[in-house]
Amino acid sequence: MNGAVSESPRPRASPRRPALQIAGVWKAYGPTQALRDLSLALRPGRVSALLGSNGSGKSTLIRILAGVEQADRGWLEIAGERYSADSVSPDVARAAGLHVVHQERSIFPQLCVAENLAIGTGFATGRGGRIRWGELNRRAAEVLERFEIAARPEQQLASLSPSGQTMVAIARALQHQEGARDGILILDEPTASLPVQEVDRLLAALRRYAAAGQTILFVTHRLPEVRAIADDVMVLRDGRLVGELTGPDLDEGEMVDLLVGTSTVQRAAAPAARAAAAPFLAVDHAAGGSARDVTMTAAPGEVVGLAGLLGSGRSSVLKLLCGAVPLRAGRITLDGRAFAPRHPSDAIRAGIAYIPEDRIGDAAFPAMDVTENASALVLSDYWRNGRLRHSEERRDARDVMGSFDVRAPSETAPFGALSGGNQQKLVLARSLRRGPKLLLLDEPTQGVDVGARAQLHGIIRDAVAAGAAAVIVSSDFDELEALCDRVVVLVGGAVGSELSGAELTAERVHRAAFAAGAGP
Amino acid sequence: MSTMTPAPVEAAPETRRGRSARSQLGALAEPYALVALLGVVVVFFSLWPETSETYPTVANIQAVVGNQSVLGIAALAALVPLAVGQFDLSVGAVLGLSSVFSASVMASGAPIPVAVLVGIGIGVAAGLVNGAIVTVLKVNSIIATLGTATVIAGIVTLKTEGGSIIEGIPLSLTDFGSGNTFGVPRTALVLAGVALAAYYVLEHTPFGRYLLSVGTNARAAHLVGLKVDRLLLASFVIAGGLAGAAGVLQVARGGGANPGVGESFTLPALAAAFLSAAAIKPGRYNVGGTLVAIFFLAALNSGLNLAGAEAYVSDWVNGVALIAGIALASALGRGRAAWARDEGPSEEERSQ
Repeated sequence: MNGAVSESPRPRASPRRPALQIAGVWKAYGPTQALRDLSLALRPGRVSALLGSNGSGKSTLIRILAGVEQADRGWLEIAGERYSADSVSPDVARAAGLHVVHQERSIFPQLCVAENLAIGTGFATGRGGRIRWGELNRRAAEVLERFEIAARPEQQLASLSPSGQTMVAIARALQHQEGARDGILILDEPTASLPVQEVDRLLAALRRYAAAGQTILFVTHRLPEVRAIADDVMVLRDGRLVGELTGPDLDEGEMVDLLVGTSTVQRAAAPAARAAAAPFLAVDHAAGGSARDVTMTAAPGEVVGLAGLLGSGRSSVLKLLCGAVPLRAGRITLDGRAFAPRHPSDAIRAGIAYIPEDRIGDAAFPAMDVTENASALVLSDYWRNGRLRHSEERRDARDVMGSFDVRAPSETAPFGALSGGNQQKLVLARSLRRGPKLLLLDEPTQGVDVGARAQLHGIIRDAVAAGAAAVIVSSDFDELEALCDRVVVLVGGAVGSELSGAELTAERVHRAAFAAGAGP
Repeated sequence: MSTMTPAPVEAAPETRRGRSARSQLGALAEPYALVALLGVVVVFFSLWPETSETYPTVANIQAVVGNQSVLGIAALAALVPLAVGQFDLSVGAVLGLSSVFSASVMASGAPIPVAVLVGIGIGVAAGLVNGAIVTVLKVNSIIATLGTATVIAGIVTLKTEGGSIIEGIPLSLTDFGSGNTFGVPRTALVLAGVALAAYYVLEHTPFGRYLLSVGTNARAAHLVGLKVDRLLLASFVIAGGLAGAAGVLQVARGGGANPGVGESFTLPALAAAFLSAAAIKPGRYNVGGTLVAIFFLAALNSGLNLAGAEAYVSDWVNGVALIAGIALASALGRGRAAWARDEGPSEEERSQ
């Protein structure tokens, strides 16, 4: 077997032997230590839930187990076979019986169920390489029956329910296992995008597979699901295993304690209560995108945080406000006047600046230069007497680079040549050139280094001190604690709670996001 | 989130400096590589004994420059939709349609200005149809314009029944098409005017910048408040209008309208528009680069022609140029976008 470090004797038939043992795994990304001496074990035939917040290292671990990334140090042991964790490739992982299923990434909605099952593992072919449909469908029918999936082989995958599609993806991963005990099924947030009744169907199916002896590692954010399905719970924080719980009777409170840890950083004195300025922005029972019922306000000089788990609707709120997603229900007022943007240009005219989460995909013109990016929102200012004032435009771009510390070789360097932090400073500075009254920031410091992050916070604070209101979405709850006057916590598209003053700590935000994590 | 960034931000600038230092010379030479190549072609055919008698003569230069004017305007027509990231494969067909209808209007005795307006108007109408198919019906522009080009070819056949229109074209127009002013072909003056206008619109107006922004990143353009669909529609209308104008010029140059002439322009026009991203302003479709590309291909084809090469050789040249242009444009574009992708949000961040 490839990648095996040492040949161990065949596994003894001991039920206590772990199905998967991970020991001393380290992984760094540049200066960031994602996993620190991580060790854990999965017991065979059980469902283990892997919990962890953003940056806890759980995605890194899944990637290492999938062979997509290699660890710096450490080893894995699967069914008695030992592998060096720095040499596991996707092929080795598969051969060793690690089956990682990513929701939505590995299915082909346009193809039929039988094709989905055969893709990647081989089609039954006859002479001349033609697909033997009869054989293919017969095999698929067998697999569907074995995994108790209510579907026909020739049915188009898109016509299945979302949970059915996930089950097909699982069945594809597991179909060639000799017996249920051989492999480990790793599910990376399989329920993140499923409606609630679909979640139940999927969990029921997983319970059946586990009862048949399948070892399952289940990654999720939703604690009630963990309680419903997991036998064992492992919690990661800062790249380490910080706690293990064993069911039955898993306690959600205990899980949250482990997830959050005890906050050692005390909140600096709460900012002096601001004079209650009339809110500039008022959102009243708004719905649109994944937001179902959101009511919130933001006043000039105030920074309001929006927290929540993936899919809680936090980004949707910003998109509603900036005109990128239509308002389905409810009402928005700006400065006391009804506001219903139909296009981002309406929001920009109304004094709203939106900084999207995906800098490259949604905000930047990577092939254009720094100057052109810097003036994207104010270009008409340079259009005088029938021509664009290019030299003035470049001079102002240099000024922007100077005052916001955007480091680039020159103002004519392509935007793409800037580092992430400088790109983000430029995108933010670009919006501020219009003197916005409301800043909407989606993950403003994601993927930037510590120095740039502090600078970005400074830029936001300055804009707010100058009288703007700001709404910030961040999955980094420490950032929300540091930056915000109030934090609105969204749960399943609606406001779960609101924290301010001494209550506003990363830990409380964290608990609020999870505690109500009962799903939609 | 920032604690899990796989892209090591600190390390990146250093590799960047190293890379850019190595390619500094290349970056300086890049805008003028095609210009230099044009020079090499001209010098070669001027010195090569086979063609040194005929190639560097005033008559040949006038012929080459004059003949390229129609193609030049067609290439500028193709350039505008390319700037917004769309293909217009109907420029040749629209050119042919315009030349047939404007010639037939003139043949029936209408004054020249009316015929010019008919030609341009037909082009604008065709552009509106293309633009509407792309923006309203959301059909991929390659498919949309391939479809309209085919329909237009049918209209031309219906109108002409396969025959050329050569009778009744006013002499003043054909004189314009074949005459020179101070030794410069008059059609070339028209091309110069159109090119100047296109350069002005693309480089010196907010509208032009908006077109290029949409071509670079349509999602970001939408979020900075641009009306993307309107800009797409406008680009097809401009392309149609320019192709229509080229059609009228073709009547002047050729002294009539040949129903089969239009399609032969599409491929070289697109090839030149694509090659423009490899010259003058590398990585960006631009007017100067388009002209350089046109005359590079013309100088090469003319030389081969005078050397006695078979006609099919110029087909090879145009075909290879189209592919080379696209390959170069995407390679240069990749070089620029690669920086961006290196720094983009990782899977990790998005899945969190």
